[in-house]
Amino acid sequence: MTMTAVSAPAAAGAPPRRPSPLASGLLGAGKFLAPFAAVVALWWAIKAGFDLPDRILVSPYQVLVTFWNLLSRGVLADYAATSLYQIGVAVVVSAVVGIPLGFAIGSNAYVARALGLFLRFFQGVSGISWLPLAIIWFGFTDTTVQVIVVYTLVVPVIFNTMLGVRAIPPSYALALRSLGAGTFRVVKDVYLPGALPSIVVGLRLGMGYGWRALIAAEMLIRQGGLGDLIFGARTFGQIDRIICGMIAIGVLYVVVDRLIVQPIENLTVARWGVLRK
Amino acid sequence: MDATSPDKIIVEGFQHFFETADGPVQATGLIDLKIPAAEFVTLVGPSGCGKTTLLKAIAGFITPTRGRIVCDGKTVTGPGRDRGVVFQELAILPWRTVRRNIGHGLEIAGVPKAERERTVARLVALTGLKGFEDRYPHELSGGMRQRVAVARTWAADPDIILMDEPFAAVDAMTRLTLQEELASLTFSTRKTVFFITHSVDEAVFLADRVLVMSKRPGRIKASIEVPRRKAGGRDWESFTTDPEMQAICEQVLRLVRDERMDGAARPGETPDPLKEAS
Repeated sequence: MTMTAVSAPAAAGAPPRRPSPLASGLLGAGKFLAPFAAVVALWWAIKAGFDLPDRILVSPYQVLVTFWNLLSRGVLADYAATSLYQIGVAVVVSAVVGIPLGFAIGSNAYVARALGLFLRFFQGVSGISWLPLAIIWFGFTDTTVQVIVVYTLVVPVIFNTMLGVRAIPPSYALALRSLGAGTFRVVKDVYLPGALPSIVVGLRLGMGYGWRALIAAEMLIRQGGLGDLIFGARTFGQIDRIICGMIAIGVLYVVVDRLIVQPIENLTVARWGVLRK
Repeated sequence: MDATSPDKIIVEGFQHFFETADGPVQATGLIDLKIPAAEFVTLVGPSGCGKTTLLKAIAGFITPTRGRIVCDGKTVTGPGRDRGVVFQELAILPWRTVRRNIGHGLEIAGVPKAERERTVARLVALTGLKGFEDRYPHELSGGMRQRVAVARTWAADPDIILMDEPFAAVDAMTRLTLQEELASLTFSTRKTVFFITHSVDEAVFLADRVLVMSKRPGRIKASIEVPRRKAGGRDWESFTTDPEMQAICEQVLRLVRDERMDGAARPGETPDPLKEAS
């Protein structure tokens, strides 16, 4: 309890946290890891029970060995870096393009209504379904992957930014105008902070969709990335490699989502969103 | 336009229509109205009679279909900091602290921080928000949020204050306190106030003059003078025991009730102009 001096100012009046942080931390981790342990146990049981050969399914232990191998030789880091770089660029591009577009659409009721169906339509046409066209236009290149991922990411960003702007009570802007505010002021003080929680939600959703699209595109384009790693491994029947790649895909997603995106979302939603009701 | 006119707000030949898919809908009847400086005018009338439409036109949020609004000798063409608005729904910004909400108008006007802080501190004290300056709106009660909204408008120091049922959403006990505070605040600052309400008691309690609106398309059907407020405003105890005030309340209530019953008995019909005189 001596460490609570660094707690957020908003929590000053909150009741004290759990009695023992270490014990409850272990308990919490156990709660989250238990389902994974169950899956690994089942996997092991199937492997042993049906006496499956390694060309069908390898043991968890072998995957662990291969994982360590790939990790220590830097192979995994290499492929993962490619994927992370692609998704990172896509996030930046989508934010730069999608947020202003969402604002432009959302700030005009007529345009928002007119484009609502249009945006939903393109939400339905998944990024992957653009792959044939993108390959024709850009070939089997990084550009094709980037186009697919940016497309997948930017649509939810535009859509949620638009929703965020639309959800701001019109009286906020009117009140500010009555205080003498001009358009720039209204955008800066009302629309931007008002739409922020929704923008963050859009980016988070977009990253989830974009990550999946990225892996799929990499499998077909074969220019590096975790999708390339697992699809390449299939050619040589390296089941351990495939599973290692899949684990990396899931772990990276969780790490990025939990350690970067969710804290940002909590920060904005906790402070901004509470009063939305 | 006579610039030396004592009237702060002039509504001239005002009439408003809303465009809908089924064609234009008449929101208000013909309205002519003059409000002198420092007068507190309340407006009561049945739901949907166009009270808020009139307020929005004075605020400059909508352009009148016919007629014009003149404030301080200038025709209203849009919102401006000379006319502060307190909304029924809370229009204070949830992502700003009490202090930054109240000081927002001054911030927009480019008032230096030190001076801004002084004004905010004065209004915080005046509205009983001391100790809550750094709280966010969601950490406050409904009554306190409403105080923030009022303080924000006052801090910007507009001559005219337009209020659209500002106390409708707070509980009955808090409302009494807020009404008393508003009565003394407006008395001491000599603001011109245009205040919309559903409550007859509230209308009479706060006003120098109560206007009664007919049902849609609403016109001003009666204007009732209330004896001038004494220094320090009013309080509910003396108000409820004052026979003169109670007589005015009854008179206003009758006028409002007439409208409702007309509406029920003969739906869709415009009010009889001869009954105007009452």
